[in-house]
Amino acid sequence: MNPKLMVWVSVLLSAVAQIFLKHGLNQVKSSRAGAAPASLLSLILGVAGQVWIWLWAACFAVATGLWLLGVQLLDLSYAFPLLSIGYILVNLLSMIFFRERVDGMRWVAVCIISGGVLLIASS
Amino acid sequence: MPNSAVNTIEKRQETAPVAAAESSFALLQSILGRWWVAFSLSVLCVVSGHLMIKAGLNHAASAHGIETLTARLLHIALQPQVVIGLAVYLFGTVCWMVAVSQKEISFLYPLSSINYVIVTLASAALLSESITSRRAGGIALIVVGSALLNRRSRTT
Repeated sequence: MNPKLMVWVSVLLSAVAQIFLKHGLNQVKSSRAGAAPASLLSLILGVAGQVWIWLWAACFAVATGLWLLGVQLLDLSYAFPLLSIGYILVNLLSMIFFRERVDGMRWVAVCIISGGVLLIASS
Repeated sequence: MPNSAVNTIEKRQETAPVAAAESSFALLQSILGRWWVAFSLSVLCVVSGHLMIKAGLNHAASAHGIETLTARLLHIALQPQVVIGLAVYLFGTVCWMVAVSQKEISFLYPLSSINYVIVTLASAALLSESITSRRAGGIALIVVGSALLNRRSRTT
């Protein structure tokens, strides 16, 4: 597998993982709303019972492995700035899945960051 | 600290998982004190963590005769520098969360793009990578873009 592809997949996976984590924690929060104060153990069990949390953990593990494999063969000054794709993707995914509003200024910002990422990707 | 008093009041009204998470967070908050301490520590740990990981990976690259992907991953993931680098980076992420809990994210996000600048400069200085004008320009755009990203939330 091409190292550049590994790093790109890693960055995209970790952005998606953040969405899974946020959704999973939201689910835990809403399922426990109004319940009696829980112990740390029951909290951990609640979190561990969420499919979304497991999805997050899986994505996180794969993303870290791909990052290590890819970055070994690439410059850090190429790979690290690509992490800012996370800003863009989390923005877009939050808009789609959490119905957050994205105004004009954010779109401008997303375009500027994408431009920066493209410049680095072409270096 | 007035901050912790507010936390205790809010905690009673929150749901239990949030309360438990907040109490462990409150401990870190009291250790790390002000937002800029947590933020500076997060920058320091994220940057040095990634540099250590890369230094460990460069070191491992000299090992020959490893064929399969899994074997290669195991080989590099067990490098001491990589393991320590990952731990330092994770701690930096926790510090970032503590900073975010003390100060608006719209203020911290643009500041955190300093990570890209420092990592790039340090890669040139410590890992002898070459910073092309495209890379420098790309990072400048990322810094400007992230400064604009959360401007709306400052006014609401």
